[in-house]
Amino acid sequence: MTQAPQAVVSGMGVVSAIGLTVAENLDALRHARSGIRPLALIPSVHKGKLLVGEIPLSNVELYGALGIPEDEAYTRTALLALLAMQEAMAEVDLGDGRRTGLISATTVGGMDATERYYDDYLESPAHRHFIPTHPCGHFTEQIAQRYGIRNYVTTISTACSSAANAIMLGARMIRAGLLDRAIVGGADSLSQFTINGFNSLMIYSDTYCAPFDEHRKGLNLGEAAAFLVLESEATAHELERTPLAYVSGYGNANDAFHQTASSDDGEGALLAMQSALKVAGLPPSAIDYVNAHGTATPNNDLSEGKALVELFGGNEAVPLFSSTKAFTGHTLAAAGAIEAVYSILALSEQAVLPNLNFNTPIAELGITPQTEWKATQVRHVLSNSLGFGGNCSSLVFSKNP
Amino acid sequence: MTQTIYIHGVGAITSQPELLDGATDEVRAYQQVLVPAVDPDYKALIPALQLRRLNKSMRMALYAARVAMREAGVEQVDAIVTGTGLGCLTDSERFVQAMRENDEQFLNPTPFIQSTHNMAAATIALAIGCKGYNMTYVHNATSMEAAMLDTMLYLCEHPESTVLMGGGDELGLRTPQFWEQAGYLDTVRPQVPTPLTSPGTPGEVASEGSAFFAVSAKESERTVAKITGVKTAHDVTDMSAWIGHFLVEHGIGIGDLDLVMLGYNGDNRYDAIYRSVGEGIFSDLPQAAYKHVLGEYDTVVASGMALAVQILVHQRVPAVLRLNSYEPGRLRRVLLYNQRRGKNHSLVLMQTAGC
Amino acid sequence: MSELTQELKERIIKQLNLEDITLDDLQDDTPLFGDGLGLDSIDALELIVMLDKSYGIKLADPKEGRKVFETIQTMADYIEANRP
Repeated sequence: MTQAPQAVVSGMGVVSAIGLTVAENLDALRHARSGIRPLALIPSVHKGKLLVGEIPLSNVELYGALGIPEDEAYTRTALLALLAMQEAMAEVDLGDGRRTGLISATTVGGMDATERYYDDYLESPAHRHFIPTHPCGHFTEQIAQRYGIRNYVTTISTACSSAANAIMLGARMIRAGLLDRAIVGGADSLSQFTINGFNSLMIYSDTYCAPFDEHRKGLNLGEAAAFLVLESEATAHELERTPLAYVSGYGNANDAFHQTASSDDGEGALLAMQSALKVAGLPPSAIDYVNAHGTATPNNDLSEGKALVELFGGNEAVPLFSSTKAFTGHTLAAAGAIEAVYSILALSEQAVLPNLNFNTPIAELGITPQTEWKATQVRHVLSNSLGFGGNCSSLVFSKNP
Repeated sequence: MTQTIYIHGVGAITSQPELLDGATDEVRAYQQVLVPAVDPDYKALIPALQLRRLNKSMRMALYAARVAMREAGVEQVDAIVTGTGLGCLTDSERFVQAMRENDEQFLNPTPFIQSTHNMAAATIALAIGCKGYNMTYVHNATSMEAAMLDTMLYLCEHPESTVLMGGGDELGLRTPQFWEQAGYLDTVRPQVPTPLTSPGTPGEVASEGSAFFAVSAKESERTVAKITGVKTAHDVTDMSAWIGHFLVEHGIGIGDLDLVMLGYNGDNRYDAIYRSVGEGIFSDLPQAAYKHVLGEYDTVVASGMALAVQILVHQRVPAVLRLNSYEPGRLRRVLLYNQRRGKNHSLVLMQTAGC
Repeated sequence: MSELTQELKERIIKQLNLEDITLDDLQDDTPLFGDGLGLDSIDALELIVMLDKSYGIKLADPKEGRKVFETIQTMADYIEANRP
């Protein structure tokens, strides 16, 4: 095992289509209650048609829930992030003098506002106070200001692996002794931009997404935010906090195959998983559950599936695995963070989470995901997030150090 | 953790190619508020079939990265770590425009794909076949600094590695119109070189560029310079204390600096911050500016660093950059201090190779 | 070279940013993907959009595209056969 102190997870907050708190999300996961529905809130020709994992709160309601005056410029991405932060930071007292950093992640950033006011900005002064909200790093700074986080603040944007990379950086900085505490995670709201973008790639399913199913047709998009409080073991110990989990491993690699598609054999994913296990000092056989990226696109699930078979040494050796994207939709930059929360719930509940909408295994793979909530021993969880640009990230969460 | 980053090769694309090519005195003049970077002959290093769809930020990054690798004499790297403030702006705009004009129908996927913020890093990885660590920081005016800090950490963890580290931003078409509405731009008398004397005018001259560095944790005969410290802060209340503390952390005093490069950009609302340290803590040092010729963008510090490398290698500060009459003797240590609109302060400490 | 194939050639060059590539060899029967011109799956998606927007033909399955877009001639034949 490693000499350097591991980062422990001592707090978390999540908001997604299946709940506004960790407890609500857990309840939905336990009871196979998906949050995917026809698009309702965003103005779009796809409203009422495309299936999405939408959080059933309007921006006005989010402002209200956070107690923020409506004339202040907060994008939907920012509002979702702050809601998740509220829960994550509930037990954290930043006056305790510990060096605290914030590493956030997003792909949408302020695009939900920019697309709304694209012509309006030039025609009227009414919404121009939103102009500064466009860049990815803007809402990170809004969060940092609100909480007084100073030691290190930054934002990662690597498409669908963004938040996993934020978690990875936080863990690395804690291990290196650069921070005592890192608030890590990400947020992405639904937007016309992303909905239409994925639709133009012809990978958007016209029905409920079916990860790892032979007849899967594509993904459903979702929106979410989640943050984890990572602390050094020493800090958590001094503050008498019970670790929810340990970030025992992490890895990032690049598929270097295509701008968006994954390679046929999932090499990037394989390399990332191997790196994560190496950092954790664990053999593949130590993994009890894989929370897969599993977007339900024809390309991803085949590619990732092949990487899993290769990593574990045969389809019979692949441990219990599932994708939770049939619950929440593909939440893009936030996926790595909400799925980290779910992976940690698997550890705290000692259960494997269900993969909904599955019927037929992918013929070429011969692996079957876990379709129902299953109580079982879970010591180590592997969580994958694979993004455009071949960006592959893998995290290992462990019950014990 | 103190980890030195040794620079073995640099590639930079800016609006001032002659200046960057050996820290010469040749500076191009512009009479506009949006100054594009001067395109090199991209086809010399990027095959036409690859080049055809790449937006400017992607092609600048790939070209600069290839130059850096060539200068460093490396065919492959272990990691690619980048920063960008706004990513691929033109393709983002193109997609939004298309959505609005066509009622979300008949949408071409290319601009959507290429609007993803990590596309520059992805393009490089794809072009050179690099399957290693690949990261993109998108944090306003400290995006490049975040990439540097990650590179330092990475080199600490993987001491035998070579890393391509870089930062870049491109101008948009619609977005600068928003900047004008938000009051960011100089609408009075934008020009390059931008006058830096008081009283000056409010607003920036916006530009674009990309700079990449092939780096490692070890010195070699190809090393051209090194980065020994990086620090960022969103807000700084006591500037002298903050800077002083940084120098102490790196075991040096003010007198050990040979040149300080200040991020004056001609925006009189915020240049006062540079003036206060220029007349305060840095008053006895040779001072230079660079953004008055390179323009302003979130990752301009990367290009400023490329310029600093030229200054250190050629041991001269071009006259057009000098702010005061102090003659630097031997140029060993350079400190870059930057902020943008009063926030996102950063310090980058660089040194000549071999000392 | 028919009017349609000429029109297609011009549209493709514009849509896929092929202006700088030497196109003297782009004949009606030059393979567009693989060993011929070397286009990729993103180009295939762009061609699907072009087919819909300019000719009113919707290809629901991107995999169908490979056959249709084999050459300029196969595209022209498909359009002639399926134009609404």
